[in-house]
Amino acid sequence: MKAVLLLVALGGIGAAVTEAANPGTGATAIVLMAGAVALGELVVMRPPHREPLPLAYAFMLVLIRAASPADALLAILVAELIVLPLRSGPWTERAIRSGEHSLSGIAALVVYHAVLGVDGLSPTPRVLTALGLAGITTILVHECFAFARVRRIPPLGGADLALVASGMLMAIGFRGVEAHQSVGLWSVVLFSIPLSAAWYSFERLAIISRTSEQTIEALSLVPEMAGLATPGHASRVAALSVTVGESLGMRRRDLEDLRAAALLHHLGHLCLDAEEVRDRPVEPFEVSDKGAEILRQTDLANAGDLLATDDAHVGSQILRVVSAYDDLMARGNSVEAAIDALYSGPGFVYDPRVLEALERVVTSSLVAASLVPAG
Amino acid sequence: MTTQRETRVTAYCVVLAAGAAALGAALGLRGPLPAVAPLLALAMLHVFAENQITDLTADFGSSAGVMLCTAAMVVFRADESLLGVLLVGAAGGLYLPHLLHWEWRKILFNCANFSIAAVSGAAVFWAITGSGHASPGRLLLAALPTALVYSIVNVVLVSAVVALSTGQPIRELILVGGREYLVYYPFALLGVFLGLLYLDYDVALVPLFLVPIIVARQAFSSYLALKRSHEATVRILVGALEAKDPYTAGHAERVAEYAQYIGLELGIPASRLERLRLAALMHDVGKLVVPNHLLNKPGKLTAEEFDIVRKHEDVSVEILTRIDFLAPVAPSATSEAAQFSPIADDRGQPVEPHIVAVADAYDAMTSTRSYRRALSQEIAFAELRKNSGRQFHPRVVDALISSLRRRGAVHGAGHELYVHHVSAPRGQTGSAGLGDLLGADAEEPTVRS
Repeated sequence: MKAVLLLVALGGIGAAVTEAANPGTGATAIVLMAGAVALGELVVMRPPHREPLPLAYAFMLVLIRAASPADALLAILVAELIVLPLRSGPWTERAIRSGEHSLSGIAALVVYHAVLGVDGLSPTPRVLTALGLAGITTILVHECFAFARVRRIPPLGGADLALVASGMLMAIGFRGVEAHQSVGLWSVVLFSIPLSAAWYSFERLAIISRTSEQTIEALSLVPEMAGLATPGHASRVAALSVTVGESLGMRRRDLEDLRAAALLHHLGHLCLDAEEVRDRPVEPFEVSDKGAEILRQTDLANAGDLLATDDAHVGSQILRVVSAYDDLMARGNSVEAAIDALYSGPGFVYDPRVLEALERVVTSSLVAASLVPAG
Repeated sequence: MTTQRETRVTAYCVVLAAGAAALGAALGLRGPLPAVAPLLALAMLHVFAENQITDLTADFGSSAGVMLCTAAMVVFRADESLLGVLLVGAAGGLYLPHLLHWEWRKILFNCANFSIAAVSGAAVFWAITGSGHASPGRLLLAALPTALVYSIVNVVLVSAVVALSTGQPIRELILVGGREYLVYYPFALLGVFLGLLYLDYDVALVPLFLVPIIVARQAFSSYLALKRSHEATVRILVGALEAKDPYTAGHAERVAEYAQYIGLELGIPASRLERLRLAALMHDVGKLVVPNHLLNKPGKLTAEEFDIVRKHEDVSVEILTRIDFLAPVAPSATSEAAQFSPIADDRGQPVEPHIVAVADAYDAMTSTRSYRRALSQEIAFAELRKNSGRQFHPRVVDALISSLRRRGAVHGAGHELYVHHVSAPRGQTGSAGLGDLLGADAEEPTVRS
């Protein structure tokens, strides 16, 4: 919040100084837009399963439309520089982020002027096409950098559309096309309203998604704290199950269910009738079936299905194999011994495909770990 | 709704719709007819917007209406076709679920309400801007009083129908409803832009205008759905965990409900209420690691047993702390944070731990436990008042009592939802509970749950 206020103050001072030095030249608006780009770097949309998208991309389109190429380039670079100390995280990471976003803006600038130079279209469609393609370019360049980091194709969607559409409208409103009216900075202020509504909605969605995930993670600790499972068992089983699931080509949605089931697979133990199990050992199937019964009453019903002992789904098989593997490891077995023990069990207990996948995953992680220099 | 009220509502809707239709007919006969293309485009957008947004909040739904009506005022300004504005407004009443279930009174009311509000707004807008050239700045300025008039008409008409159907005083409804109409102003300004864009670029740019609004709506819809699902999941999980002990079954759910009552009574903002409800729901999750025989031990606990029981607070705090959203109120789970101190209150300490403490103690007193039968509500109130200002926060105690009294809610002996078949003693010192309230042999001086 302090950073936002600081930027607003800096933008105001910058605009006042510019207006005093060059009255009526339009330079003030460019300074203000550079301030808006810097501000937009601190306000990011966080759509699900995506890298955050800065609102700055929408304001960059206004700069690209309103200023000469040299001025727009300068304004983008200055904005990214100003925002550098206000970002969070290590300095290298901040510099990389500012660099990536600058390149997204520069790519958009190039595309905009390239399309604008194409003959054969009347001015209005030409400007609209140029702005649209420039907006799409910022997103694509941004996602290319994200892909290089996470090696996963992002699900493009509403947030991208909202950014590009708002940026186009702001740019057209700021400086009309042909004889059409322009309303200057008013367009930036007003078209920020629906964009802000989109940002707010994604922000609430991100918070509740995180809360939901953290609640399941926190509840997974209860059986461990009650001494019914070894400390860290649930989170280890969840992480390894997801890795094994990924190696078997499970879809993202199924992996989420598998993770939830793995985290809560001991919860059923706490829900068993205390009087009923008072003086006898609890059987694993009782825990699983009770857990399944409870989760099936919630929106985690698919995760509940994975817990049921009669379920033949591959996720269910993964959960059983990985949980048993973690138990063996907790008893002090080596990886090889634990894998051997799982293979030597009765053939119908564990799915051989899953066992092979687990062996691949844990062996490759051992190899990877051995490549890391000690210390 | 009684038959008499129903008749009044029906009469009101019919008269309002007849008035709007008569106004439309008069405008059609006297004034110029609107151009068909913008009329269809804006009317369809209004229908679309109302159908897309109505499942969110009333603010969002209404704001889309004012935006499209203001756009119509800009578009039809040149030829002064009030009929065009009226028809665009009326289109907002075509809400699909009402049409499918043929709720004709709602359709009539909404069409009439939107059209009368739109025409009233247009009269103001055109009076300020005239029909000749007006700069965008002037149009934007004119949109503000326009939004004010639109919202006044809207709130009065809506309050009237609510007053007729529920019997609530219309003045109160207008005052409450009026507060929610601030959101109209930015959307009226956006409507000016939409109108100008339409005049300048025809319908080509309208989809661009709608994209961020639809995206915001979908993301907000997903958020609401996930929020509901998350809360339901937590309720079921905590409920299932509690269910192993019939004496505490439903405790967390009830504490969350009482905490919500107190929060509303104290005027806590919605975002904090949400946090309070979840924290209250999970405040006792640490008790799950305590063996049942200790929680329900009918008699004094040994020092060792007492330590084990008290450890549950640490577990609850650790679990709540791991959830970012609940971390600020994690101390709600400790008896220290819930202990009232006038000095801490002066320093502006969060009130949530005190709310959970009072709600928790009230439910514990009004529920049967293995070591004690439920106390009556009056005894529970008296006990809370006795400890108000010492153990409990006085404002919180007052808020709970007045809220329950106003709702007519009665809990405690004779009013429990769950009838326990185990015959619990009437009064005894309970080691982990509240049996200490009745007898003089109380060992623990404070109320605990």
